[in-house]
Amino acid sequence: MKNRNKPKVAFFSFTCCEGCQLQVLSCEDELPDMLSLVDIVNFREAIDEKRDDYDIAFIEGSMSRTHEIEEVKKIREKAKIVVALGACSATGGLNCLKNRFPMEEVQRVVYGDKAKKYKHFDTIPARPIDAVIPVDYYIHGCPITKSEFLHVLKSLLLGKKPEIPNYPVCVDCKMAGNVCVFEKGMTCVGPVTRAGCSAICVTYGCICWGCRGLVDDPNIAAHEDTLKRYGLTVDGVLRSFDLYGGWGRHKIS
Amino acid sequence: MEYRFLPKKEIACFVTGLLKDFKVYGPVKLVPAGMPSNASIGDTKKGKDGFPMYGEINSPKDLNLLHTPTHLSPKQYLFPPKETLLKFKNGEKPGIESVVEAHDQVLFGVHPCDIHAIRLLDRVFAYGPKDVNYLKRREKTFIIGIDCIPDKHCFCKSVNTMTADYGFDLFLHDIGSGFVIEIGTAKGKDILYKHAKTKKATNKEIKKIVEFKNKKAEMFVTTLNADASTLPLIYSGRYYSPVWEKIGKICYGCGSCNNVCPTCYCFDVRDEIKANLSEGERYRVWDACTLEDFAKVAGGHSFRKTRAERLRHRFNRKFQYQVDKFGGLFCVGCGRCIRTCLVNINIAEVTNELIEESNRKP
Repeated sequence: MKNRNKPKVAFFSFTCCEGCQLQVLSCEDELPDMLSLVDIVNFREAIDEKRDDYDIAFIEGSMSRTHEIEEVKKIREKAKIVVALGACSATGGLNCLKNRFPMEEVQRVVYGDKAKKYKHFDTIPARPIDAVIPVDYYIHGCPITKSEFLHVLKSLLLGKKPEIPNYPVCVDCKMAGNVCVFEKGMTCVGPVTRAGCSAICVTYGCICWGCRGLVDDPNIAAHEDTLKRYGLTVDGVLRSFDLYGGWGRHKIS
Repeated sequence: MEYRFLPKKEIACFVTGLLKDFKVYGPVKLVPAGMPSNASIGDTKKGKDGFPMYGEINSPKDLNLLHTPTHLSPKQYLFPPKETLLKFKNGEKPGIESVVEAHDQVLFGVHPCDIHAIRLLDRVFAYGPKDVNYLKRREKTFIIGIDCIPDKHCFCKSVNTMTADYGFDLFLHDIGSGFVIEIGTAKGKDILYKHAKTKKATNKEIKKIVEFKNKKAEMFVTTLNADASTLPLIYSGRYYSPVWEKIGKICYGCGSCNNVCPTCYCFDVRDEIKANLSEGERYRVWDACTLEDFAKVAGGHSFRKTRAERLRHRFNRKFQYQVDKFGGLFCVGCGRCIRTCLVNINIAEVTNELIEESNRKP
């Protein structure tokens, strides 16, 4: 029995690995409570049902084909609230790596000589969903963190504005008691990257790749200087920002 | 003041004794995740001390009584990065229940600058409405200080925190063969007598404390070029100094200086409700005045839009505003913010620039 008063929630995938939706599904402790508060009416990864009468749309994935743009516009028309779910959707994510190359080259590398033969292999420079539709809220990360997804959902249900951190990963690192990546003889983009991940990569010995995108007002010039001071070449510096920051760097007109 | 002597070989026994009654935290040499296990010592720019951090001591061999500064201050054991303040319930039987988490703990090996910092935090959290969470934890905290050797960024001598006369339960002076232990409180005496085999320190041993102090006073590379008592006035006159723009330009606004500072105590309070939307908790997390959103208020207005304004605010909190309110410089000269800053903003250099400007145009 579906409760008519419960807000209806839908999940959609575009160009992505659907890992962020998997994160949603792995909120096992909270799923029963969640389902008592909302109806999930469209969630390809989890249910067969597909309905178009949703209030909140969580959209995963970036736009990398023309028909995706048409699809996402339709979702925007139907949904009262659109939430970008994860790096691909919120900032363009890894998919934007391809934007450095001509699209013909990208097609050839992936599909070989079949690329020209079949029309549905069309590809355009990848972009976040807010390049084509207005977005109300963003859940960052590659993948998203479960707690932040739950925080956003709960906030929306309560009519509160979700609190998405607007400070660099350095804050999370200090709170976690981490030794700075730069102290360990490595470099990262944490000082300009939006926190909220509890600095999980650095805590486990990796560096910050910047998957949550830049803070609202990053000091990019300062960070370029820092990276150079720590031995990176200009090319190395640019590459540091490229993995998740491709959209900002190679913006298409 | 009573002085006891503890031979070095007895220190393990003392720590073992403490571990029976307390959780013990102290400096450890850390091999961080992602580093080969032999990389901690010598390979890094931190030199032979590797990555000195505070950590939980589970056995005497964990404890590394470092003479050089730790990356983070021990404030985390009195004022944790995140702590629950209360739990609440909605629904038919709404209610709130306050949460105060405190256990008996020892902070072992706290340097004089950090002892001074804790003394300042004590004043802050007891000011106005009492901060029960901090004060309860503080009450259950036993502080064992230790003498240290300044590195190139330490400037405690310039802000009068090179030595601590009080603010600790016990204080260890390393004199080579062992420790001369200064007893600061009655509780300190009880615990020392209970857990350690000490003997009365001889005059010769006590004299070595003064000898070391004199030697230490000569070791500082970083010094401030004005008397500590004049700094509030100098800062108040340099509100429009070009220095602020200069450092604001290179600052990330990453909050690292705040988070490693032993006297920064700002926090944000948030509510998080469970997925059933009927119960939840209110918690506080560290906040930092150099972060963009710190001075932002409802409607999006910011009182300190630029990084320069935010840094100026932070520096003034250390050298002027808090001094007026709590009677003491809030910079204890530990140098942590200098070490942590990726763009080399140096609070001592900045202060010296302000002093120089002030001398030029008073």
